[in-house]
Amino acid sequence: MYLALLELKAARGRFLLMGCVVLLVAALVGIVSGFTTGLGDDTVSALRRLPATHLAFSPDAKSDQFARSLVPADTLTGWQQRPGVRATPLGVAITRGTTDRHTEVDLAAFGVEPGSFLDPGAAEGQRLGGEDQLVISRKLADEGVAIGDTLTVDRLGIALKVTGITDRASYGHVPAGYTTLGTWQRIRFTTPGAKTPAAELPQQYSAIALRAASAADLAAADRELGTRTVALTDAYAAAPGYTGERVTMTSIQFFLYLIAPLVVGAFFGVWTVQRQPELALLRAMGASRRRLLGHTLAQAAAVVLGGTLAGAALASAVGLLVGAEVPFSLPASTLTTTMGAVALAALAGAALTLRRVATADPMTMLGAGR
Amino acid sequence: MTSLTLRGITVSLGHGDARTPVLRNVDAACRPGVLTALVGPSGSGKSTLLAVAGALLRPDSGQVLLGGTDLAALGDGERARARRERIGYMFQSGNLLGGLTAVEQLLAAASVAGRPAGRLRAAAEAALTEVGLGHRLRHRADRLSGGERQRVALARALFLEPELLLIDEPTAAVDREQAGALTELIARTATARGCAALVATHDPVVVDAAGATISM
Repeated sequence: MYLALLELKAARGRFLLMGCVVLLVAALVGIVSGFTTGLGDDTVSALRRLPATHLAFSPDAKSDQFARSLVPADTLTGWQQRPGVRATPLGVAITRGTTDRHTEVDLAAFGVEPGSFLDPGAAEGQRLGGEDQLVISRKLADEGVAIGDTLTVDRLGIALKVTGITDRASYGHVPAGYTTLGTWQRIRFTTPGAKTPAAELPQQYSAIALRAASAADLAAADRELGTRTVALTDAYAAAPGYTGERVTMTSIQFFLYLIAPLVVGAFFGVWTVQRQPELALLRAMGASRRRLLGHTLAQAAAVVLGGTLAGAALASAVGLLVGAEVPFSLPASTLTTTMGAVALAALAGAALTLRRVATADPMTMLGAGR
Repeated sequence: MTSLTLRGITVSLGHGDARTPVLRNVDAACRPGVLTALVGPSGSGKSTLLAVAGALLRPDSGQVLLGGTDLAALGDGERARARRERIGYMFQSGNLLGGLTAVEQLLAAASVAGRPAGRLRAAAEAALTEVGLGHRLRHRADRLSGGERQRVALARALFLEPELLLIDEPTAAVDREQAGALTELIARTATARGCAALVATHDPVVVDAAGATISM
């Protein structure tokens, strides 16, 4: 180890340079992870918070189901009569509104039945109690909407009284707000600019939220009731832009994980070639292959771990700086996992050079080898 | 006091049909406390014999006896152990570790041998002072002259008090004046330490200073 430290000190410029490269790769992976998680949360956190196991859509909605699917009330009744299944209607619609204090906000209106298992409750103020009430997510409160405000839906003129605040939730990058199904149906089915409200609104919902003990009977119920049921996690793909974002961000991460070992491997490859005479000298002096491999790995570990830790700190700092402005979320568990993966990938790259270390020929130190 | 005895050393180098005999049934001996010159024309096998004597190369046949141990009969791991614990090397042009100071060259050798290098700094400084480099202790290898690098290499080779000192063309990269001083230093220190010392050389200055000669 002493020898490894001596070499690190002697070639500190090169190792520092490599450490900086690892730092930047690690920071980039951390930042991309932060955006991946943040964008994912911003797109589907309201869906993640739904305490349902499955969602049943109308079968004609093949994509963007929350916007396209309309499930009639009698289908809901059918589901509610299925044994082993709890069912409650869910409405989802993206709109925008302005408060009486002139705060303009986008709103993902979630229509739920008060008291049902989808009722989000309220961390502050009062939970959903009746028509034209709105329980907003913390994100809307951060944007300036407060309990007691009246939020008027643009172009529809529907006035919603903000009664409570619940946990942070959003859908399609729009902060969520919870209202009754009747109010949601008015938002969803009222024609913009209509002089008078519709006499009778369709008794339809975006989906039916299910809590099923087992998925075994759901297919049979789908066939009988004319719905298409998916697991809640699969329903995330129905959120606008979710799949595209995930594919994009995951692709970037994938290539970064490919780049990390190649960059580190290339550095240690060049470093190993450059110090072949010294490795041969150490072998001639009696250093065992195991010892040389050990101290090469120790050097790689020092550079990789130092660079990764600094990269993690940089990614966290970026998160702190931009977290309020853009969807960025880098919890400790995600940071630890991604940085661990970067370190492993980088060490794997360094390990690619070990064969050259092990095969350094001490005979090259003598005239016979030249 | 340990002597080196080489008996019936035969070595061929290369692979397959290109395998060429380099040493054929060579006998040689190296007494403790005596600088022995290994001389011969280029290609005569001096460096190969030095490699065999230093457990860097296993002969096809023959014995390499160092204080009763046949180095040729040892496995790779045991030969590496013999190299780090019993043999000191001084290679052509010094062959120092890049970026390390003169003192660190000796501490690196101690580290390779598994000694507590961190606690041997004073001893390393004393060893360098003994070869006339007390004023160059913290100079990096690339800041030293050819002669100074050879002195560092000599100090490193002797630092762990080896039983056998092997030296390859010590004066090849230094001028005449330095060659004389370096040769005198090698002969003096090898004699004083009482170790067997074998030096492969073309240089008459070294041959003249040697107490014995092996001709190839």
